Amino acid sequence: MTQTSWLQRGRITEIVGPLSSGRTSLLLAALRAVTAAAGAAALIDADATLDPACATRAGVALDRVLWVRCGGRREAAVAALDLLVRCPGFALVALDAGETPPRLSLAQAFRLRQAARRADVAVVLVGRHRVAGAGAALAVRTRRQELAWAGPRRRPTRLIGMRTAVQVIRKQGAPSTDREEHWWTA
Amino acid sequence: MDGVTRVACVWVESFAAAAVARAEPALREIPLAIVTGTPPARRVVDANAAARDASVREDMGEAEAVARCPALVRRGASDDIVASARRALLDACYGLSPRIEDSGPGLVFVDIAGLERLLGADDVIAHQLARAARSVGLPARVAVAGTRTAARVAVRRATRPSVIPPGAEAATLASVEVSALDWPPGVAEALARWGIASLGEIAALSRAALAARLGAAGLAAHDVASGRDVTPFQPWTPPPFWEEAQALDWEIDTLPALEAVLERVLERLTARLVAAHLAADGLQLRVALASGGHHVRALTLACPMDEPRPMLTLLAHELAARPPETAVIGVALQAHAVPRRAVPGVLGRSSAPAVRDLATVLARLVALVGAENVGAIAPADSHHPDAFATTMLRVDAEADAEDAGRDDDVLAFRRLRPPRVIDVETDATGRPAVVHGALSAVARVCDCAGPWHVSGDWWDRDRWAREEWDVALDDRTVVRLARDLLRGEWLLDAVYD
Repeated sequence: MTQTSWLQRGRITEIVGPLSSGRTSLLLAALRAVTAAAGAAALIDADATLDPACATRAGVALDRVLWVRCGGRREAAVAALDLLVRCPGFALVALDAGETPPRLSLAQAFRLRQAARRADVAVVLVGRHRVAGAGAALAVRTRRQELAWAGPRRRPTRLIGMRTAVQVIRKQGAPSTDREEHWWTA
Repeated sequence: MDGVTRVACVWVESFAAAAVARAEPALREIPLAIVTGTPPARRVVDANAAARDASVREDMGEAEAVARCPALVRRGASDDIVASARRALLDACYGLSPRIEDSGPGLVFVDIAGLERLLGADDVIAHQLARAARSVGLPARVAVAGTRTAARVAVRRATRPSVIPPGAEAATLASVEVSALDWPPGVAEALARWGIASLGEIAALSRAALAARLGAAGLAAHDVASGRDVTPFQPWTPPPFWEEAQALDWEIDTLPALEAVLERVLERLTARLVAAHLAADGLQLRVALASGGHHVRALTLACPMDEPRPMLTLLAHELAARPPETAVIGVALQAHAVPRRAVPGVLGRSSAPAVRDLATVLARLVALVGAENVGAIAPADSHHPDAFATTMLRVDAEADAEDAGRDDDVLAFRRLRPPRVIDVETDATGRPAVVHGALSAVARVCDCAGPWHVSGDWWDRDRWAREEWDVALDDRTVVRLARDLLRGEWLLDAVYD
């Protein structure tokens, strides 16, 4: 499994985990995969936390990403997600819900799933907790494994990178036992 | 001799009533009269077929018309609606032939010479013209003949598209009754007095004798009976802007009601554009206000469109942002038309959102979160850690060669905007030791690297200078701290994630 092989058009994928667990790095990898293939992507950023310089270093073509900043308004983020998922042509629509993600009702989640299927768009929901519940085809949890520093142990000079583990916690139609590790360079 | 050898006459009977029925399709099947004047002296100036079947006639008093037909619906005469319908009929005909003549409201002559190779035989063209007129909401009769006069006479009797074969104009017109046509005052009476009942009998008379007895009207009658054109064909050239207008009998003071009117106007306008194989790349909305003024809004469309729904959404957002000051009594919508371009899809490439869909979604997103919070971005020409510029969203399917093959697994930042002011205790060497008020109330520093001094814009009022630290805290977060050297305060700048 490559870093973005889990991305499936017409499905909802959730990435959950605490801060500094690699969930945003995984999202940037997905954006890079889509924009590198000349696809259009949309990122609904509930707290406006995307760092453009970092995304550029990660290889994301930012001019192919529609960045919607919601200023902390979760209900606006959900409404924007609903609008964008129903716009055919996007390869990926992502919602970065931050530390206090909204919880979609079962009906909302299934409507979202239906809209994603109709528009053939990959929906990625990123946050501290799960958002779409049973509407998601795949849900993964990220966890920090290790930090690597350069220089002496007591006085490091530079953060080199971070190793994270990605655990599948829900996979529609299959047992959720997959686990893999990623290395992210700072 | 103007060279026209085959001409189609497109005629809409009771044009004023048809124009109103076009604006209000529910009135098509019910008795409708167009009235003018002020009560109680209002008079009927036009009536549709259902009203005429109920003995409602032109120049009849409104009270008498209602007495004859209690179900009669009356509408005031509107120049805007008639003008829009007239343009719509011309546009529909122009979509089939580049040479048409505007001969008045509801009457268009179409030069169809040479179209048989493109469209088919005369009867096929006649049916296509009738269909084109129907597509813009006007029930037209069509007749094809060798001259405009013959076609105009034939169309009065044509309940369905008809064709007079080449050379058979005189024989066909000969059987037409004199009473079937409208004549100048005095001519019909004179012809009746002479016992002349058909056009063939008029054509058999001597032109000189007719001129001696009836003057110019007699000569004109002889030309009509002979099916002869005496004036040259005057081609009509469409103006660059296409307009559709609707005057309202009532005042509108809510946006939903105004949107309902705009939807109908847009449907009519786009039907005309589609009939002419055009699309709009700009709209201008002119709203007549009850105060006597006008509210004008211009809208540049992201791409040429010919569908009313996305245009209506964009207009609705524009009006919601800047609503009219007072009640509305009329709307006029002008489209800047451009030729439609067919864009073939390419198999095997990533899809991209249709620009018209994208424009609609962007308008809704702007209404939701504000224009400054929607768009694509690009790195800015600055060393500031949070500098970026807005740019156009790219939706083309061309892959960037420079991005191909890149596979950088970069540890991402989550930037705090604005950075959070925190308290930091430092150790004896000046390195952060304890952080207060970051992501948890108090967190001890496990590891840290830094500082890196960065500064910029020193020549400007917005100069900045800071030192940055990468810090791993004991609450399992890895953050970037920054110490603002100008203000002397510590900031939580970003969180590694």
